[in-house]
Amino acid sequence: MSETYETLTTDVLVIGAGGAGLRAAIEAAAAGARVDIVCKSLLGKAHTVMAEGGIAAALGNVDPEDNWQLHFQDTMRGGQMINNWRMAQLHAQESPDRVYELETYGALFDRTPDGRVLQRAFGAHTYRRLCHVGDRTGLEMIRALQDRVVQLGIDVHMEWTLTRLLKDGDRVVGAFGYNRVDGSFVAFRAKAVILATGGWGRIYKVTSNSWEGTGDGVGMGFEAGAEVLDPEMVQFHPTGMVWPPGVRGILVTEAVRGEGGYLTNSEDKRFMLEYDPKKKELSSRDIVARSIYKEAQAGRGTPHGGAWLDVRHLGAEHIKKKLPSMYEQFLRLADVDITRQPMEVAPTIHYAMGGLRVDAETAATTLPGLYAAGEVAAGLHGANRLGGNSLSDLLVFGRRAGAAAGAFVRDAGLGQIDEKQIADEQQTLLLPLSRQGKENPYFLQQALQEAMQEGAGLARDEKGLKACLDNVLELRQRADRVHVPGSRRYNPGWHTARDLRFMLTVSECIVRAAIERRESRGAHWRLDYLEKDPALGRVNLIAYNDAGSVELRRRPVPEMPPELATLFQEPAATPPATSQAPGARPPESKRIPA
Amino acid sequence: MSARAARTNDSIVFQVFRGEEGTGREERFEVPAVEGMVVLDAVHYIQANYANDLACRWNCKAAKCGSCSAEINGRPRLMCKTRVDEFGTDDIHVWPMRTFPLIKDLVTDVSWNYEVNKQIPAFTPAANEPVPYRMLPEDTERVYEYRKCIECFLCQDVCHVLRNHDDKSMYYGPRYMVRIAALEMHPLDTQRRTGLLRGKAGVGMCNITKCCQEVCPEHIKITDNAIIPLKERMVTDAYDPLAWMVRKIRPPKKPASTGGEEAGALGIVRLPQRFAVKDVVRLKSRGKPFARVGGVRPDGKLEVWILKMQGTQQHWKGPRVVDTSEVTNNYGPLDDVGIGSKLFEQTLIEHAK
Repeated sequence: MSETYETLTTDVLVIGAGGAGLRAAIEAAAAGARVDIVCKSLLGKAHTVMAEGGIAAALGNVDPEDNWQLHFQDTMRGGQMINNWRMAQLHAQESPDRVYELETYGALFDRTPDGRVLQRAFGAHTYRRLCHVGDRTGLEMIRALQDRVVQLGIDVHMEWTLTRLLKDGDRVVGAFGYNRVDGSFVAFRAKAVILATGGWGRIYKVTSNSWEGTGDGVGMGFEAGAEVLDPEMVQFHPTGMVWPPGVRGILVTEAVRGEGGYLTNSEDKRFMLEYDPKKKELSSRDIVARSIYKEAQAGRGTPHGGAWLDVRHLGAEHIKKKLPSMYEQFLRLADVDITRQPMEVAPTIHYAMGGLRVDAETAATTLPGLYAAGEVAAGLHGANRLGGNSLSDLLVFGRRAGAAAGAFVRDAGLGQIDEKQIADEQQTLLLPLSRQGKENPYFLQQALQEAMQEGAGLARDEKGLKACLDNVLELRQRADRVHVPGSRRYNPGWHTARDLRFMLTVSECIVRAAIERRESRGAHWRLDYLEKDPALGRVNLIAYNDAGSVELRRRPVPEMPPELATLFQEPAATPPATSQAPGARPPESKRIPA
Repeated sequence: MSARAARTNDSIVFQVFRGEEGTGREERFEVPAVEGMVVLDAVHYIQANYANDLACRWNCKAAKCGSCSAEINGRPRLMCKTRVDEFGTDDIHVWPMRTFPLIKDLVTDVSWNYEVNKQIPAFTPAANEPVPYRMLPEDTERVYEYRKCIECFLCQDVCHVLRNHDDKSMYYGPRYMVRIAALEMHPLDTQRRTGLLRGKAGVGMCNITKCCQEVCPEHIKITDNAIIPLKERMVTDAYDPLAWMVRKIRPPKKPASTGGEEAGALGIVRLPQRFAVKDVVRLKSRGKPFARVGGVRPDGKLEVWILKMQGTQQHWKGPRVVDTSEVTNNYGPLDDVGIGSKLFEQTLIEHAK
């Protein structure tokens, strides 16, 4: 292959323009590095924009008893203790500053009557902790970051897809890909690369994710030799839309329950009172999702196999003020007026807790020169992510990745670009246009989505997982026969052909790890192993690339230092001894029972 | 409802524009009807089954990202939010946004919008504004309407100034009036953009046909709540010194608050203000120095930064707290592009002499 390509040179290449990518770019630029951002869509359309509920930070504005230790404990408990404790600690300690910093970029959060940032309740958070703007927090966040990036004059290359990390020995020295608009090829030479590519929800059929969530970052990282941590941990958001078919999977924010919504079954019973009498609807996401699934399995589901989510008791005015986009979404897409009718909801794939293994302090992956932040990275959330922790994750670790990469490039030079790697990738990219195969990339994608939904979904067992693995491996062979008509100019079929390869790689990692984890923990629910296995509770699973095939390895969960470990010796979430100065506690302060 | 039920066993005819760079035509596709289907579902069906290379933009499919803008039966709309059952048995024509250059099929080149955006001065809080910010709910809530914008550019597409004149150098378009309004009304922003509005941004080009607010999927009252107030603000700043003085006495912008307990139970106390952040004033003290208002304290005193000239270099020293009685003259806002900066430049020249 001797296709031409353009070469661009920079210090720090940021792949992805969601919350983590933008925050990383801002920090790397602040460190004095030249930064280039590459994103698959237009700027400001990344998946962060869809985040609704809020950003978790222990500001203590509404409940003054809150502090980082409690946020840390909630995160670790939610993650069933297989999280990286240091990431959870840094996250809990730094997220308040990141929220306030966002306001200096121009973001405006909802406010308390005395003018501070308001916080709302969310699942499995001990106190009211989520800073929010109605139900469009993600939009506010991405707009603020986007404005900052524009203000700093950072170059953003929109509608480019990078598909291969270029290596010089072990070190990552750039990336190669194509311009979606005209199909031309581009190679970036960079001293450091930050992956902020998000998750992989699109490998499932029912998902709240956009087309972009195809696991590119994990796929590229895996192919380049980085380690993939906890891939089996895939979060189902308990409440996605169910009906009509076209909207299936679209997210119904947890803020609906945070504001006081009830879940009921076909017998009009609030079933969460049974499954988790203390936290009720605001239990952690894995528990609520399973409860909805169990109710439907027991024949008490809604007409389309979900549960009812009811906010009518909150009053029309409150609903329209606090949940405006939910009101609009149901009215417009489902003909349901949520101030008068309950919403029909069912679990939807939402988030990947797993991803590339990174260092807690620097967000560095196991490959020199390669950093990862946000959903593409793993470790913070363990076996289950708490609502609101991902937006703060983006900011805390986006900033850390940017700072670390900025420091790294100060002393590092550019690496050597290997023409053979580029020629290989060009061939991989171009084959679907030229070869004689008959497979349709969209149909293969749909087949994969169905196989994963069926075999590696909410409820898993050995038989289903093994069948799913066979399916994935067969699809992998069929993917070698994909053919796409048309030219390279803005050709979504051609784009899908490459995405498919990442999706298949990630799927294989998920299924193999899900077979290996013979227990139920967090989001990973095995019908044939319903209990937790304490031995497996001490390990993370790592998938790695062994000459092109997916291999697994166990790695001990990092051990907490004694001063943090003592936090978990008391019974669940006991509030710390706080000074109860008279009048220190506002009258509306209310602790959510844990 | 009956029309809807009848359609579910049927197929729907879509006439989708296909073409590249200026040339193209409609192609006819039949798509099986599904209950609750939106136009984007049909486009996806066509992509998977008939035309793998059909170009369209989309992301969230939930009307939150503003990617899938198109002209559906001639009207600019989001494909993910347009139900097919509202068209009865009519054919559905799907075209790209025609105000922007065509790339391919339903995708147009919207990069001009991003270039315009870069020209708008960013959010500029006072340098000494304490973090975390204190802002009252009623002050932030009025900005939310503008901040709801998902940048779908449908308003830009429908705006006749941008669309018919084939000249985008006169006017930034409704989207950027909304953005400027959001910045101007931000309780802690200190930058004035009225000079920009009058000049390059071209707010005067809008003749209030309100098409933009009709197509806004977020129901932002673009003309009523963004463009008209900006026009008023621009006109008063530029042409009506009396109204400008009135606004100076009761400025629409809340001055920077120092927050803290001394400000009373609400944290922020509103006092009648004569001064706003960034105003240039002259002090009564020795040498009658110029100063820039950095903050107006709840007790009515001003935090000022005093201008010291070192040769032709200007240097701001401060902050110093002064009483309003120590001020002789208020020259208005220091604005990088507007009237205030002209006044200020003039006084600087005088001072240099």
